[in-house]
Amino acid sequence: MKGHRDNREYVADLERHGDAVRITQEVDWDLEAGAIVRRVCELKAPAPFMERIKDYPGFRYLGAPLATYRRLAISLGMDPRSSVPDIAEEYLKRTTSEPIAPVVVDRREAPCKQNILLGDEVDLCKLPAPLVHDGDGGRYIGTWHAVITEGAEGDVNWGMYRLMLYDSRLMVGAVFPFSDLGKAFHQRYEPRGEPMPFAAVIGPPPLAAVAACAPSPIPEPELTGMLMGAPIELVKCETNDLLVPAHSEVVIEGVILPNVRVEEGPFGEYTGYRTSPRDKRLTFLVKAITFRDDAIVTISNMGVPTDEGQLLRSFSLGLELDKLLRSQGIPITGVYMPPESTHHMMIVGVKPIYSNIATQIANLAFGSKLGPWFHMVVVVDDTIDIYNWDEVFHALCTRCHPVRDIRVYEHAVGTALYPFLSAHERKYAKGAQVLFDCTWPLDWDPLNEVPRLVAFRSVYPKEIQEKVLANWEAYGFPTE
Amino acid sequence: MRVWEVFVNDLSELREDEELDLSIRTLEPGIYKYTYKRVRARVSSSPDTYPDRLHVRFGRGQPCDQTFSIQIVEELNVIPAKYL
Ligand SMILES: Cc1cc2nc3c(=O)[nH]c(=O)nc-3n(C[C@H](O)[C@H](O)[C@H](O)COP(=O)(O)O)c2cc1C
Repeated sequence: MKGHRDNREYVADLERHGDAVRITQEVDWDLEAGAIVRRVCELKAPAPFMERIKDYPGFRYLGAPLATYRRLAISLGMDPRSSVPDIAEEYLKRTTSEPIAPVVVDRREAPCKQNILLGDEVDLCKLPAPLVHDGDGGRYIGTWHAVITEGAEGDVNWGMYRLMLYDSRLMVGAVFPFSDLGKAFHQRYEPRGEPMPFAAVIGPPPLAAVAACAPSPIPEPELTGMLMGAPIELVKCETNDLLVPAHSEVVIEGVILPNVRVEEGPFGEYTGYRTSPRDKRLTFLVKAITFRDDAIVTISNMGVPTDEGQLLRSFSLGLELDKLLRSQGIPITGVYMPPESTHHMMIVGVKPIYSNIATQIANLAFGSKLGPWFHMVVVVDDTIDIYNWDEVFHALCTRCHPVRDIRVYEHAVGTALYPFLSAHERKYAKGAQVLFDCTWPLDWDPLNEVPRLVAFRSVYPKEIQEKVLANWEAYGFPTE
Repeated sequence: MRVWEVFVNDLSELREDEELDLSIRTLEPGIYKYTYKRVRARVSSSPDTYPDRLHVRFGRGQPCDQTFSIQIVEELNVIPAKYL
């Protein structure tokens, strides 16, 4: 399988599966495009591909590019009807295979160099940055993109950090200090008073965007190759030595300025609220803009579920936590984060072979680099299907003792985005976390103390179950 | 008359008739709509005191019903000259 080289191949594939709608009438970048994408997210409708944008001939929009599991399956070259566990299994297989190194191509083979703005021609307002939600602090050009910089270890980092237009030359971004970009900038560049080169790629190949927002330790160019099943083609920037995907739609190059901050936000966020305060944040000074003919600007519209912020982050966070727990020898059946929880709830299935295994799981998960992104861990035993919310919810409401099985973690690392934190806690990113242990205590007598689940699958002999299933239609029930 | 917008957490930040440093964004239609300037300016809670209109929004984007007026005294540089 070879992943889509660019958003054009991807849109064609989405259309083939009925997962994109081509909008030919003119759409306004000022709220109308955002409103379309928002409604699409809430209805889980096909991705809107908008061909005419007011004030911006020669540009197009792709909204909600990966806001459904169907579209995630299509981006991975799988059957769109694949189940979530099947997509997860494929993702785990690819991301634990051999790394696939990128290849560097000549700029003549790089479509992202078709148009180049340098010097006085540089003007961010030549790009159709949408006003995504009414009341946002500004127009966001970076909502589904990759910010490419040096990484925390001096390596390369691709991350997704929202980018607002401040003026024609300046963008301002929300970068958490514990992110790879945050660490590299705050620990190396700013202390030396040095501007940090960046390239913001708008409309990167779909799986490059997935890699950029995945919390994986694998360098993103290699990770993209592993997800695509082929090396990603990169090309050197015009004004620095960073390498960007050659088939990207738009590339914005420049430097992040040390000790300069301007106001950013507020912005509709993945939690479904505008929560984090407007604040002075990192400034991205633009030196060059390159873009393809008829460039496709990608838009993710964060709000109530389901958008990319929830679906993909839940997906890849959950699977990285799965790898972490297995690496520590914990006998888990899997990890699932429901997108509807806005990746705040981690559901773990485990064979409870020793007491307090749930606490060990929560300690590892909350204590990891990924810990600040979620605050609820629900641990169920291996008889529960972690992907079946009805089963998980039933276990949570029936097996979790309010005193014995709920453990509160005070003084956790949080983020300014948690809606339930006070203004003070948000400002200083002070969080709190909680474990719901829904396993039966191992010191209970299995015969007399552990209740017996009363379900079709558990309280009828196998022959009776088979007979009932075989006769289901004959009894007069409709076929599923 | 131009139309601008400012974000505040509280209206008390807009101290009337004093020189204030503000980030304001233009609401003029066209491709520069919503871009910012850092300015030194005077504001008034009356819409007609100063030449330009100033709309106000609160910290989470909620619009304020009251329209202010603003006079830009000076545009301020956001980016230190050494980086330009
Ligand atoms: C649509 C979307 C928007 C995001 N916006 C931000 C953001 O503004 N700031 C941020 O720090 N992380 C944001 N994230 C999460 C980061 O992309 C994510 O943590 C990524 O893995 C970078 O983390 P790392 O640099 O620590 O690897 C966003 C994710 C998605 C999917």
